[in-house]
Amino acid sequence: MNTYLLQLKRSPRAIAGLTILLLWIIAALIGPSLLPYTYTGMDMNNQMVGPGEAGHLLGTDALGRDVFSRIIYGSRSILTIALLTSLLSSIAGIIIGFTAGYFGGIVDTIFLRIMDILMAIPPLVLAMVVLGILGNSTIVGLTIIVSITYTPATARVARGALLTCKSSEYVDAARIRGESHLYIMFVEILPNTIGPVIVEITARFAYSIMMIASLGFLGVGLQPPTPDWGMMVIENKSLIRAAPWTVLYPSLAIASLVIAISLFSDFVSKVMINED
Amino acid sequence: MKTEPVLEIKDLDVSYHTLTDTVVALKGVSLAVGKNEALGIIGESGCGKSTLFYAIMDYLPVTASRSGQILFKGDDLAQKTPKEMTKYRGSKIAMVYQNPYSSLNPSLTIGFQLEEVSMFHHGMSRKDARQAAVETLSDLHLGDAAGIVRRYPHQISGGMQQRICIAMALLCKPDLMILDEPTTALDVTTEAVILDIIQELKDKYNMSLIYISHDIGVVNKVSDRIAVMYRSEVVEFGNQRTIYKKPEHPYTRALINCMPRAGVLKENTQLNTIPGYVSRRSAAEIGCPFVARCEKKNATCEEKYGMVERKPGHFAACDRAYATDIPDKVLAKEKGAIPEGSEPEHKTILKIDNLYRYYGPHGKRIRALDGVDLTLDRNSVLGVVGESGCGKSTMGHTVSGLMRPTRGKIIFDGTDISVSWRKRSPETLRDIQLIFQNPGRSLNPSFTIENIIGRPMLKLLGIKSKQERRKRIVDILKKVDLGEEYLYRRPKQLSGGEMQRAAVARAFSIAPNLLVCDEPTSALDASVQASVLNLLVDLQKDSGAAYIFISHDLNVINYLSDYIMVMYLGRICEYGMKTEVAGSPRHPYTEALLSAVPDVDPSLKRGEIRLQGAPPNPTKKIKGCPFAGRCHRKVGSVCDTTPPPRVNFSDTHFAYCHISPEVLNAEISVKGIEGIEAAADEEVI
Repeated sequence: MNTYLLQLKRSPRAIAGLTILLLWIIAALIGPSLLPYTYTGMDMNNQMVGPGEAGHLLGTDALGRDVFSRIIYGSRSILTIALLTSLLSSIAGIIIGFTAGYFGGIVDTIFLRIMDILMAIPPLVLAMVVLGILGNSTIVGLTIIVSITYTPATARVARGALLTCKSSEYVDAARIRGESHLYIMFVEILPNTIGPVIVEITARFAYSIMMIASLGFLGVGLQPPTPDWGMMVIENKSLIRAAPWTVLYPSLAIASLVIAISLFSDFVSKVMINED
Repeated sequence: MKTEPVLEIKDLDVSYHTLTDTVVALKGVSLAVGKNEALGIIGESGCGKSTLFYAIMDYLPVTASRSGQILFKGDDLAQKTPKEMTKYRGSKIAMVYQNPYSSLNPSLTIGFQLEEVSMFHHGMSRKDARQAAVETLSDLHLGDAAGIVRRYPHQISGGMQQRICIAMALLCKPDLMILDEPTTALDVTTEAVILDIIQELKDKYNMSLIYISHDIGVVNKVSDRIAVMYRSEVVEFGNQRTIYKKPEHPYTRALINCMPRAGVLKENTQLNTIPGYVSRRSAAEIGCPFVARCEKKNATCEEKYGMVERKPGHFAACDRAYATDIPDKVLAKEKGAIPEGSEPEHKTILKIDNLYRYYGPHGKRIRALDGVDLTLDRNSVLGVVGESGCGKSTMGHTVSGLMRPTRGKIIFDGTDISVSWRKRSPETLRDIQLIFQNPGRSLNPSFTIENIIGRPMLKLLGIKSKQERRKRIVDILKKVDLGEEYLYRRPKQLSGGEMQRAAVARAFSIAPNLLVCDEPTSALDASVQASVLNLLVDLQKDSGAAYIFISHDLNVINYLSDYIMVMYLGRICEYGMKTEVAGSPRHPYTEALLSAVPDVDPSLKRGEIRLQGAPPNPTKKIKGCPFAGRCHRKVGSVCDTTPPPRVNFSDTHFAYCHISPEVLNAEISVKGIEGIEAAADEEVI
């Protein structure tokens, strides 16, 4: 653990990434309770005021809603969905990838072909179609859909990680001890694949944010009036000349979060790969 | 002979700078190699042998710093710019690496790669270069040189690949050739052939050699003088016979005594072990590198330490190897310390009957085991020896249940266990344990030692109480010389020897009756190997378990076994008591193996049988004797067409060979390992 901290200290990029990510998480946790405005509160006297005017830190949109408050509220849903998505798709990916890789043969072929079919459809298109059919998008619905679209990729990573460990002699040692397949897969092998799996989870986290923002932008994400970053961008698209802050700040929020996570996940993969 | 040295190294220091500290890799190394002289460098892993070679060639990484002089025919290589160094690399100083497969480019033909050398260094045309390549190859006794140059590296055997690498080095007509463990990855019979070739070429090309190896036996075969390295320093340097017969430095003596060698058997001697372990060397450290582990250390150590010419041409940093003020450790065992093979009742524990194991799909089948019969008594050790691909590991894995035999029966203690682990009873799983070659891979890196040893106890002995398990784990750890503090360590925090001892502890924690050891010491250094071998001998004596000990190293097999089985291409060649097989080998293949064994004692010369070629393709069905193609005593076409009959020499000793028993009995062309026991008695110990 100490070596991780030591390496973190030496990497300013990772520190920057982690700091921004932590700020967003803190903002999402306690921000809303400190804000003077709610995300639906309309200040009818101050529509489309610029940043800093009339007590609105980042200005207001066409309905007089506080942009800053909406961004802070919006961080909750996007962080929740992204975190759940990366966890769920990793768990599903590990189970599928491990089963396929461990048993090999026909099981492997079937699982891989199913994954190939899912991978053949671009994730965004797949998610749009499913969400479009379902109509009303909720946090649960979005999480499940995005998780499914990301599962094939994680399954492949997990399968690859398992295959490198599977031929190890400690697996043989467990076999001739009469251990069950489940024990070998999840107790003997899983801890040794944790490096690539964690790298995958953090990378997935950044992808999920982009995906959710994109879905919001395309209008199949969370529905109004829930403050969704992607949706905020598209809602105010027509105001881009009159009130650029209504588009700029939600976009910056998305970008800062994605970049922060990417910086941190670069560090994670470097540390995890160095270790082996 | 005092000639102007070709290479003279003076006070060479190399250290590596890491983020946190500085590690010394070479300290005050001074060596000289004369013209047409061969210098062997031996040492255990981490002692700086390879760094020395990189330092000479200026191949050190950027994190390393180097000081001192490297005089090559009077020019100081340490002062050369990288550009100037290219004039020396390859053309004046050539090198051969350990792994021939990774030194050759797999996508270019061998001819192309050989031609490049002459074209680059001598500016030859491609046609002349091809001519030179073919000529050099024939110097290396490669039969069809013109054919080989058209092939790709993967189409030839490892031994041939290494010969190509040597040819590549030779093409430049270098003054000095450095070989870094060139035969370590090869089989012993191939190794013998290559060592002969190196020896011959040295004189033909009038080169000097530096031969780096961890194996003193190999170094003995090619070197005139030997330098012993320990923890970044040369501790002793002199004539090979003197180094073996009367070493001056306590480390040299201790190291030689660690090695299983002619005349040293478990019945009469315990292998020496060196207490402690090799620690990293910090820049601040001065004085004798061996002092922490030395048994002969005393108050004068510090001041009297330093390289001195103790005898003409023999340099040592310390002369206390035979100091009398501190008594020698007693290594000789009292007779009868281990019951003789005949003493315990002959109760068969394992019977293998006509065992076959094939790999791969139909038509491309590899016959890993091709009809093996075997019986093993309780309380006895069967050594299985053979070259890679002979099926010895497959046999071990089939017995331990990792794989199911294709055909044939394995009867263990009265039960038929010719099935895989999945169908075996918990009792059988407990009774047969397997120790793997590479402890780093056989212990799960994510678990603590407590978990690793405790799991079989829970699973196979059903000990539910954690306290009870811990008590037993501590007991067994003590038996393998690991303290209680190891409970919470993970394999990565252990050294190779400690890991293998933990693996032994895991196997013994559930009191097995049969232990299959698959090359358990091949990945270990000599001193560590000795401690593991001693441990295995002691545990066997205490527990009465039977061992199947698989190894490619006949010296180790000879030390540890009661019975020896020699395998070739999935079949048994010869089987018998240790004294019979190693003492008076009958099968031509056993003879060849024995004559190829690199001896620790340089004065031993065991016959000159050299096997040419490689084992036949294992996917082809062999009608006759599998060894017929390489046999030096082939009878005639009968060897190729009819399976060899079993020839019995005694109740326990038999071989499969077409040569008539009378002839086999009469002509023993190779001195066995045991035949020279008397000579070995007065040696080092």
